[in-house]
Amino acid sequence: MFNQWFKKLAGKPDSKDVAKKRLQFALIYDKLEVSENILQDLQHDLIEVISRYFDFDQKALKLEIERHNDFSALVFNAPILSAKRARPAPPRAARPGA
Amino acid sequence: MEGKIVVVTSGKGGVGKTTATASIGAALALEGKKVAVVDMDIGLRNLDVVMGLENRIVFTIVDVVHGKCRLRQAAIKDRRIDNLYLIPASQSDNKDAVSPDQMRELAKELKQEFDFVLMDCPAGIERGFENAVAAADYAVVVCIPEVSSVRDADRVIGLLYSKGITPWLVVNRIVPEMVERGDMLSHSDVVEVLSVELLGLIPMDDQVVVSTNTGQPLVMQKGSKAGDAFRRVALRLNGHADLPVEVPRAQKGFWEKIGFTRR
Repeated sequence: MFNQWFKKLAGKPDSKDVAKKRLQFALIYDKLEVSENILQDLQHDLIEVISRYFDFDQKALKLEIERHNDFSALVFNAPILSAKRARPAPPRAARPGA
Repeated sequence: MEGKIVVVTSGKGGVGKTTATASIGAALALEGKKVAVVDMDIGLRNLDVVMGLENRIVFTIVDVVHGKCRLRQAAIKDRRIDNLYLIPASQSDNKDAVSPDQMRELAKELKQEFDFVLMDCPAGIERGFENAVAAADYAVVVCIPEVSSVRDADRVIGLLYSKGITPWLVVNRIVPEMVERGDMLSHSDVVEVLSVELLGLIPMDDQVVVSTNTGQPLVMQKGSKAGDAFRRVALRLNGHADLPVEVPRAQKGFWEKIGFTRR
């Protein structure tokens, strides 16, 4: 018990608290990990949808996951060449109200 | 009534899955249930030695699945505990020797024959895990209070949920003195990180090694703290869900009680 008091006085955190923090961060990062395949599929789908509305430079587009300290963001960069005036009807059934 | 199939899994190896399977299985049989413990670690079997039944293997689970023998021929009856049976893994095949579909088929027969079937899952999350989990209705995730084990347990818990199974947690090898000192994750830390229902807390116990050395069931060793804790896990599985989870406590001598530590 006295040893513990000395440890506390010296300002050293309990090793189990260090373990818990590291674990919680590791689990968050593990869950954010997305496989290359998923990103490629997403990119493919995004191109399909966006090209219905815009002409854009398909070679210059970039899809990335940006990690920050407390959040992760999906960043999609697609340089637009022009908007499409008359756009084709969406492939699904007409939306309600449309 | 149909039996219940429980998979004992962990992700990480060496955290006590096999000991837990053998002990919970033996405890359930002592409660009067007809129990089969199944070694799903094909190619690296160990449940047989832990239970002291290694000299009696004739047929294995691979033989049953491939129709080379009947289920009853492969099930080895434990002579010390009534109603306890081991279905061993084969040592010469690999995990591809059986498929998840074949396991689901076998499960129907197991459920007819036994009240409880405990599947001892191999480490990892590959084919062996898929086979062991395929037929399970329930899952017990074993972890120890260490960063690597808890992380792997989290992964396995996620996989179990994705298969529609809500797992229970057993925290093994708790050293109460280290928890009190702040040098080991407490069970509440582990539960908070994993957010899963707790089934049991097992203290570190030298008797586990002794019992494995001799192949004697841990739950029959008098005064084994881990054995007693496993018996409580079995009770909770066997319809006494309201039995409170006992937290392992440090045993203190006079000097420790008044504030002196050894070391």
